[in-house]
Amino acid sequence: MAVTGVTAGLCLPLALFAIILIPIPGLPAASGFWIPAGFYFVMTLWFGVWGALGGHIATTIAMGYFSGYTLHVWLDGGLGDLIAPLVCLLIFKLAKADPELKTKRDKAVWALAVPISSLVCGLWVHTVHLLFGIITWPFWYVGVLTYFIGDSLAVFTVGTPLLKTLTGYVKQSPMYIWRRG
Amino acid sequence: MERTFFLHVENDSPLVNLHPALKILALVAVNLEAWIIESPLALLTLLLALIALFRALRVPLSRVGRFLAFAAFVVQAIMFSYILGSAIPGRVVLLRLPWGTYVSDMTVLYAAAMVLRFMAMLVGSTLILAVMRDVDVVYGLKSLGVPFTASFTVSLALRAASMFLEDYFKVRDAMVLRGTDFSSGSVFERARKYARLAVPLMVLGVRRMLELSYVLEVKGVGLRRRRTYIHQFQLGWRGYVVAAALVLAPILSLVAKLWLGVLTFPGWPLR
Repeated sequence: MAVTGVTAGLCLPLALFAIILIPIPGLPAASGFWIPAGFYFVMTLWFGVWGALGGHIATTIAMGYFSGYTLHVWLDGGLGDLIAPLVCLLIFKLAKADPELKTKRDKAVWALAVPISSLVCGLWVHTVHLLFGIITWPFWYVGVLTYFIGDSLAVFTVGTPLLKTLTGYVKQSPMYIWRRG
Repeated sequence: MERTFFLHVENDSPLVNLHPALKILALVAVNLEAWIIESPLALLTLLLALIALFRALRVPLSRVGRFLAFAAFVVQAIMFSYILGSAIPGRVVLLRLPWGTYVSDMTVLYAAAMVLRFMAMLVGSTLILAVMRDVDVVYGLKSLGVPFTASFTVSLALRAASMFLEDYFKVRDAMVLRGTDFSSGSVFERARKYARLAVPLMVLGVRRMLELSYVLEVKGVGLRRRRTYIHQFQLGWRGYVVAAALVLAPILSLVAKLWLGVLTFPGWPLR
């Protein structure tokens, strides 16, 4: 509960900044640099599904509660932001990679997992937008591409230093989900 | 005056004193209703009715005014998307675009319907959210069967957000005092500067998380423990009538649209 609440609290103002500062014209609730993704990807790799839930709650509340986006835009974006970090966690688990990114293999897994997760999330969000009539086909491509780039850039820029510098510190926490070596 | 998340609302406003579960049901119902309706005329009627409700329920209409710039941004986004990127058949093609899409008379009408749908959702959601308190979030979700832990987590997120907003400004000001200039450089340079804010923010976040988890444990908040509640909200027969109306309205609209053909968009998809 604490992990989810704090992750959501941390990501919520960041989500607002991202939507307001770097919006994409023609695409509701899209940002060219989705800053909170950097945080909830990292929180998910450290604390598992609770971190991802925090990102989901933050996105849902930020888009709806404070910015006035409509219900299906909230739920769609919120679910997308739940799926993306979980895909990244799954890839890390399958590859048995360490979030501290000490070895070249861990870094390679990170470099692959982030774009794959962002792409999965972008496909989900914009396909649902398309089915609801919020965007049209030509903008589906633009949406998926900007989501892919905007999320991946933010996760690499914000998440990489966090994983490298703070994983050692977080490993001491009882909530850290990986077996301590 | 009653303090809500966003503003002060008159104590005697019927909406403020509505049962928390009804506020959440109303939020869902108004969005569903606007989503089901396709007819521009019906959407316009819904929008005007919702604006009239602000006055009738004594909720300051100025709340919507704060969203005007945002609404204008989304309206241009919808128009931009439909005018440049759709192919909706109509009686007259007004403009053919080189990438294969075109603008017909129906394109303009459909885009206008989408704008009306968005505005109805925005105005309706704002009406409900303007009277929402943190107590309403926890008790409303709880009354609707959401587990206490999930309701409490949402409330915790809202409270934590204001704390982190303060932390963010503190850390940013400390960095500015040490010579960081957030307003200069290219977009990527500025993004990198902001990214450096993330580490101290995350350290504060992890510390808060640990403290909070100990506090919640000490206070006996857990997934399977039974709880007692300080506030008691009674639904009453009027509440049940409102709840039934909120559940039935979208269902009836859906039936009317699918089986009676009313509330549909005239002319497209071609019927």
